[in-house]
Amino acid sequence: MDKLITGIKNLDYILGGGIPAYSLNIVSGSPGSGKTILVQNIIFNNARAGRKSLYLTTISESQFKMVRHLQGFEFFSDDLLGEKVIYGDLGAVLREQGADKALGYLTEMIKKHLPNIVVIDSFKAIRDIFPDEKTFKAFVFDLAAALSIWEITVFLVGEYEEKELTLLSEFAIADGIFHLYGQEEKRFQKRFIRILKMRGTSFQQGEHLFQISPVGIEVFPRMRPEGEELQYGFKPGRKGFGIPSLDEMLYGGLTEGTITLVSGATGTGKTILALKFLLEGAEKGENGIFLSFEEPEAQLQNTARRLGWEIDKYLAQGRLSIEFISPIELDVDKHAFEILDLIREKKVERFVIDSISSFENSVSDPQKYRDYLWALGQQLKRRHISSIFTALNDDPFSPLIVSREQISLLADNIIILRYVEDGSSIKKVLGILKTRGSDHDKALREYEITPNGINILDKLNKADMLR
Amino acid sequence: MSEITEKEIERYENLLREMWTASAKYLGILSVNLLVERVVWEVSLEYQEIELLQYDQDGISCARIAARLKENPELPVGDMFMKFITRYVAILARLIGRERTEEIKKRLNEEFASIPFDSREE
Repeated sequence: MDKLITGIKNLDYILGGGIPAYSLNIVSGSPGSGKTILVQNIIFNNARAGRKSLYLTTISESQFKMVRHLQGFEFFSDDLLGEKVIYGDLGAVLREQGADKALGYLTEMIKKHLPNIVVIDSFKAIRDIFPDEKTFKAFVFDLAAALSIWEITVFLVGEYEEKELTLLSEFAIADGIFHLYGQEEKRFQKRFIRILKMRGTSFQQGEHLFQISPVGIEVFPRMRPEGEELQYGFKPGRKGFGIPSLDEMLYGGLTEGTITLVSGATGTGKTILALKFLLEGAEKGENGIFLSFEEPEAQLQNTARRLGWEIDKYLAQGRLSIEFISPIELDVDKHAFEILDLIREKKVERFVIDSISSFENSVSDPQKYRDYLWALGQQLKRRHISSIFTALNDDPFSPLIVSREQISLLADNIIILRYVEDGSSIKKVLGILKTRGSDHDKALREYEITPNGINILDKLNKADMLR
Repeated sequence: MSEITEKEIERYENLLREMWTASAKYLGILSVNLLVERVVWEVSLEYQEIELLQYDQDGISCARIAARLKENPELPVGDMFMKFITRYVAILARLIGRERTEEIKKRLNEEFASIPFDSREE
């Protein structure tokens, strides 16, 4: 089946390659939800590919206002107006000549311009011109039939509320329904798009985040934890920390392509341990990304320099990248997708998130947080990327809580860092709780962070320290 | 109008009726009429007499074209209908898919073997 490519970032991916050609699509949403910009973005992208669009306004927004608003977007181009993007006013015909003349006018415009795409904006506004629902329904049916015969893909834009989507006749006739809406989540005002119906193609259901920027519309597909994402294999290799005693405890290192949770209280050295893992990879010629929600790049560089690690060299070589996202700015829907883009782009073998606790704090719905992290984890495993997620343990002396929200379930390996009391002093202890598919040292070992790095010391042999 | 031309018109009318019926199965009568309307308009840019083709929900008729032919025997009827058929089949192929259109063409070819249906005009 022929498809109309929208050209909008990730929208065609969600649609399984595009919108089926000659389909009739409704773009619904409340005022300001981005309907007009979405459709305009699609028609200008298609105009650049040589396809012609006829954009008919009705009574909601005058054409000059619309053009003025569009000028700020990169997709807009004056050169395409009149040639590939033709604006017309269906509203005047409807008001002055009546509804029965509208189809005739539309047909004449089609014969004159032979467009590939026709948009009616706003379609809902013209409902009131019809004397009753029956007449309007007949009009919609005739319109759909007429436009499809002319091999035209149609977009009817309307300020429909969600509850209307199952009630109004136009939705029964529509081949595709795009619903746009916004909602506040934590501190973000977010925009979502849902494809409620799309005949003739498989599409990704659920809500997908989108943003409107000077580029136009960009969609961030919902991360899917289910289905084919679970198909991945294990690699036999191991990836070490470059800390001999720790690598010995792990029987040579972490199994490639697994997820390791490093859980510990504040100050136990989770960040340093994770950073060391990436630097060891860089030393071996592997690319790594350190995604930090807690410390900016300069601060991490400083820490690494103090420990005598050659972080500047690896950053300059591109072997190591540090991406800092302020937890205040973190938007899981958007960033989870960007992280995967970055991983693909940089051909990463080692990856760190420091910490997933910041992820958790940015998402209002705990289930959504778990789903996202699970989906991200599966994506990383599919790509055989050895990953470390650090997690803050709120209780510095309790080893029992690995992480909140049962995130430990997604980890193949768990390393815990904790404090123990030793008389009047506090010591740090490291233990390996599990390594999936492999054996490991069961001992708890003291460790220290010195100007020379991380030193793993002897086994902890004082049971009373673990009270 | 010579007897040969009269028979030719009759043959084309039968063919159009078959096409109309076969495609109505997939598109419905309303859409078939709209499709005929579109193709008539497109072909009329070259052969204005095609506008004399009559069609409604009951079917299609070439009676008015036949009448015009009596007045003007020089009308390039063959070329006009071939253009119409080719265009119709090409659009139909894009609307309902080439596979189903092939089925229709196959059926028509059995009855109208001398007319080379081709949905690949573009």
